[in-house]
Amino acid sequence: MPDVDVLVVGAGPAGAVAAWHAKLAAPGLDVVLLERDRAIGAPVRCAEGVGDAGLREFANPDGADWAARKITKVIFQAPDDTEVVVAERGVGWILDRTRFDAHLAAEAVAAGAQVLVGAEATGMSRNGRGDDRWYVRVKERGQDTVYRARVVIGADGVETMVGRWAGLDTRVPSRDMESCAQYVLQGIDCDPDAIYLQFSEAIAPGGYAWIFPKAIGVANVGLGLVALKTDGRNARQYLDAWVARRFPNAARTGYTVGGVIVHTTIKKTYADGVLVAGDAAHMINPLSGGGITNAMKAGRLAGRTAAAAICAGDTSERRLSAYHQAWMELLGDDHLKYYRIKQALESVDDAFFDKLARTVNRIPQEKRSIGRIFTHALIKHPQLIPVAARFFV
Amino acid sequence: MRRVTPDTIAVVDLAVCDRCGLCLPLCPPEAIHLALNVLTVDDAACTGCEKCVAPCPVGALAMVAYA
Repeated sequence: MPDVDVLVVGAGPAGAVAAWHAKLAAPGLDVVLLERDRAIGAPVRCAEGVGDAGLREFANPDGADWAARKITKVIFQAPDDTEVVVAERGVGWILDRTRFDAHLAAEAVAAGAQVLVGAEATGMSRNGRGDDRWYVRVKERGQDTVYRARVVIGADGVETMVGRWAGLDTRVPSRDMESCAQYVLQGIDCDPDAIYLQFSEAIAPGGYAWIFPKAIGVANVGLGLVALKTDGRNARQYLDAWVARRFPNAARTGYTVGGVIVHTTIKKTYADGVLVAGDAAHMINPLSGGGITNAMKAGRLAGRTAAAAICAGDTSERRLSAYHQAWMELLGDDHLKYYRIKQALESVDDAFFDKLARTVNRIPQEKRSIGRIFTHALIKHPQLIPVAARFFV
Repeated sequence: MRRVTPDTIAVVDLAVCDRCGLCLPLCPPEAIHLALNVLTVDDAACTGCEKCVAPCPVGALAMVAYA
């Protein structure tokens, strides 16, 4: 039976960074990173956008093969297609996740972790009788192997089986699940330095539609919606309607679907010998739906906490709760605020967004910062004051 | 969770399902499982609440009469 110190389930950004930083924190530990799929990073279930500052804490995008486009503009589109351009230097990047995730996994390997692809955790249990290790069943090339691990880090995404097996409550209410669908479109006309976000109840009720460029004439074009607010069509059908209107002649060269949890962090992200990180712990910004940087930050905390706990000979949930506390201080409490804004915004309608877009367009473009837009919007649209108030309460 | 035998339960069409895992955390009794690239609904645990049906991005889940 393979005996390991840290077993990380899932080699996305959370898991790869967790394995990497567990090794950096304690090079003597045995760290194994499992990936269910046969290639790290594929299939892509992501719009691939990430902010510049958060990304640079983990990897340098300048000239990297995993960075598809540098983004310098955000173009908000009102329901009536009125555009509001917000330009800021170094806003962010569109990644190539197949390469980016592999890059992070390679960092983990360079630090001394072992990575297994095509290896799926299918269940885990503990023995009791004073044995505090987890026994994780892993299916690899048709063979079952049981790994004995001191700490299991669940970085297994939206389905979060590790959290479930550890007895954590990882369920989410329907109103906080964005159902997403996305095409890779080729031969489209859009600004390759900008991301486009369109808000409209008719296009993506309860969410937004996006265009994220991957190259000149190529973009991830998708949307996320809340099923409770739809007219009965599913996300793929809403996307088909939007793409048919916006890009009737584009070639659809790929598609993906998936769920984005726009909830707050799960109440408990730890158990005896278990930590959960990233999407698995609902660590997504509930306003933007962005999760990559959050996942990496949580993975770093999880890897360090696991390593320190093992070195101290105490992997109890009491000790591992330090991870939860550190996460809440770092970003978890901010996500609570974003969640309140999201709830408040649910009460505004398409006509309001159309008017807001016109208001903001009266600010000269070079003076448009998010802060100035926010202030201006509050003065012109007092309906937004309760939204702002909820942010600060 | 107390379970009353439901009139209908959720079933998945594996020819349509994309294995994205979105429905798993939506299921109150955690009756949906994803393992070895197959999504399954545990019909003994499903309460027929339908919370998994509309959010499926591709419409792979539907309710059927509980036999």
